[in-house]
Amino acid sequence: METQRVEPVIKFALLEDVLNLARANSLWPMTFGLACCAIEMMAAGAARFDLDRFGAGVFRPSPRQSDLMIVAGTISKKMAPAIKMLWDQMPNPKWCIAMGNCAISGGPFEYEGQYAIVPGAHLIVPVDIMVPGCPPRPEGLIQGILALEDKITGGEDRNYLRRFRRMGGKR
Amino acid sequence: MAAREELIKKIQALLPQDAVCRDDSYKAGVVFAAQAPLGKLREAIKLCEGCGYYLESITALDFQDTFELVYHLNCYEPTSRISLRVLFGHDQSPPTVSDIFASALWQEREVCEFFGIRFTDHPDLRPLLLPEDADFTPLRKTFGAVHAYHKREEIYG
Amino acid sequence: MAEHFPEPVVEQIYTLNLGPQHPSTHGVLRVLLDLDGEFIIKADPVIGYGHRGHEKMAENRTYKQFMPNSSRMDYLSGLLYNHGFVLAVEKLAGVQVPERAKYIRVICSELNRISSHLLWFGTYVMDLGGFTPFLYAFDDRENILDILDRVTGSRLTYSYCRFGGVTRDIDAEFIAMTRKFIARLRSRWDDYHNLVTKNVIFIHRTRGVGIIDAQLARQFGVVGPNLRACGVAFDARKSEPYEVYDRFDFEVPTGVKGDALDRYNVRLQEMEQSCRIIEQALDQLPSGPHINEMAPFKVRPPKGEVYLAFESARGLTGYYLVSDGSPYPYRCHIRVPSFGNLHVLTEVLKGTLVADAISILGSIDVVIPEIDR
Repeated sequence: METQRVEPVIKFALLEDVLNLARANSLWPMTFGLACCAIEMMAAGAARFDLDRFGAGVFRPSPRQSDLMIVAGTISKKMAPAIKMLWDQMPNPKWCIAMGNCAISGGPFEYEGQYAIVPGAHLIVPVDIMVPGCPPRPEGLIQGILALEDKITGGEDRNYLRRFRRMGGKR
Repeated sequence: MAAREELIKKIQALLPQDAVCRDDSYKAGVVFAAQAPLGKLREAIKLCEGCGYYLESITALDFQDTFELVYHLNCYEPTSRISLRVLFGHDQSPPTVSDIFASALWQEREVCEFFGIRFTDHPDLRPLLLPEDADFTPLRKTFGAVHAYHKREEIYG
Repeated sequence: MAEHFPEPVVEQIYTLNLGPQHPSTHGVLRVLLDLDGEFIIKADPVIGYGHRGHEKMAENRTYKQFMPNSSRMDYLSGLLYNHGFVLAVEKLAGVQVPERAKYIRVICSELNRISSHLLWFGTYVMDLGGFTPFLYAFDDRENILDILDRVTGSRLTYSYCRFGGVTRDIDAEFIAMTRKFIARLRSRWDDYHNLVTKNVIFIHRTRGVGIIDAQLARQFGVVGPNLRACGVAFDARKSEPYEVYDRFDFEVPTGVKGDALDRYNVRLQEMEQSCRIIEQALDQLPSGPHINEMAPFKVRPPKGEVYLAFESARGLTGYYLVSDGSPYPYRCHIRVPSFGNLHVLTEVLKGTLVADAISILGSIDVVIPEIDR
């Protein structure tokens, strides 16, 4: 299924970098836990693996107030239209993380003869970052969110505030 | 235990002698397994309800020559689970027990959508777990990938 | 306090769709509510949004290959479901288990039970609006996950038990960590009681809310802490003792009225009883092998069936396995406790306020993917 990403109509130059910095450091996720990965997402937002220090700790229940959809869990065929509807309700700019093996490719439930699940969130919504694991550790989800921040800000070349060294990073 | 012995006596009075198979060692997880004909099912379930039992689960088994419905009932005393089994053909309809035990409302909906067994007089037989417009019965052995499709006597002898 | 009204004044019924995406974290539950103002006339839960076809998968997987599935049905008590599944297959196939393995399985299962109740505690109070206990509960839960992570290798969905024992043995570090954790948890009860149980808002939102009486519970097949809160002391660990539970001295806490406050109290007391079981198990832990080496690699149970009931965090769960002598099950049906626990809400939610409905939904502790299987 072709999923198009909507590009903004007006483009700024340096202001775009600042805007991207602001967007990346204050991603508001939508509470969208479907199955087991939802618990690890909650654990990532809890006290030990604090997501709030990355600005992403405010989980909004309403799609209209969020800009990041973390698809955490298996997508059943009954749930797929609801996911599409929620994605369409989110205002731009929006991003999507597919968390867990089920959201990436159907996970342990994909076998020949499976009648009940959609093997991957990329078939329904455009996915930016895929976080593998069954379930991924909360540190894995945090790495995914940091990778998304890199994608939004353009990486260490354009991100003036990049303070941390990534695996394979230069600074 | 009181309720269990009372129920065993009543079921043995209702069904023929060889239909009740008692096993005190609890090897299969049940104290006795009773084979009931389709016509006596509701009466047997009513006896269980009267003795203080609750309906734990309704399971359907798909064999080549017959369907089998297994009703597991349990009560709050130790080691009291019993199972009631009915056999019927692939095109027959068993009666509903949802007016005796309310939990059968959802259990029978699930059996109906997965096996295609329609229960007579059930108030509301729409799908429970599958999408509303599902037109397939997944747990039948004729659907999808299966390893074996046996006749009943190949397993139970 | 819960408000009820005797007769609905039906002028205009408003149908409200609660879910499948909503801030409560039970999973994907959708409840269609027919409202008259703020009061609920009819509640119809719609489930199936997490249906993954476990029972069909069981017929296409060998018994060992089904182990990951068993953990993912109720992911909060993954080890308990693992444990129950291997018990069912061992009973059917007649596989012996060494004593040490039995004690290890019991210790890990009870740790899993405590972690499930802690998560329920945190999310229930968060549903009612209190955000702080969530962080305290998750902090304690992370300690349990550290302990289990060391020996099983995963935090949430385990495949630790094997037919004939467990994968890896526990060491002295595990025992020391567990004892330290129990001491720490016991020192936290005062915190939880001061923060939540004595909180006047919490009491007002839970006392008298969602009363399930024992007759209704029997009609719908309600099991677990919900049933025990109605006054019925029914626990699979006492009524059908499996593994080594008959060697421990623990109580089955019960409530009186069957309202949300009773369910809350029962679960907190169950955590304390689990601590007692773990302590006794650690004291009685024998030495020996942790797995039966003679257990077959590809287990082929003889023809027949077994129904094994065990007590998961949510209530009595049953594995019904029918075997045709091959390595693949002929039929695997799982009777999950949340099935009846959710079903009873069609009666209990009638006549309550919408805000009380949220409190009731949280207090019965359902995990939807286990109903959907």
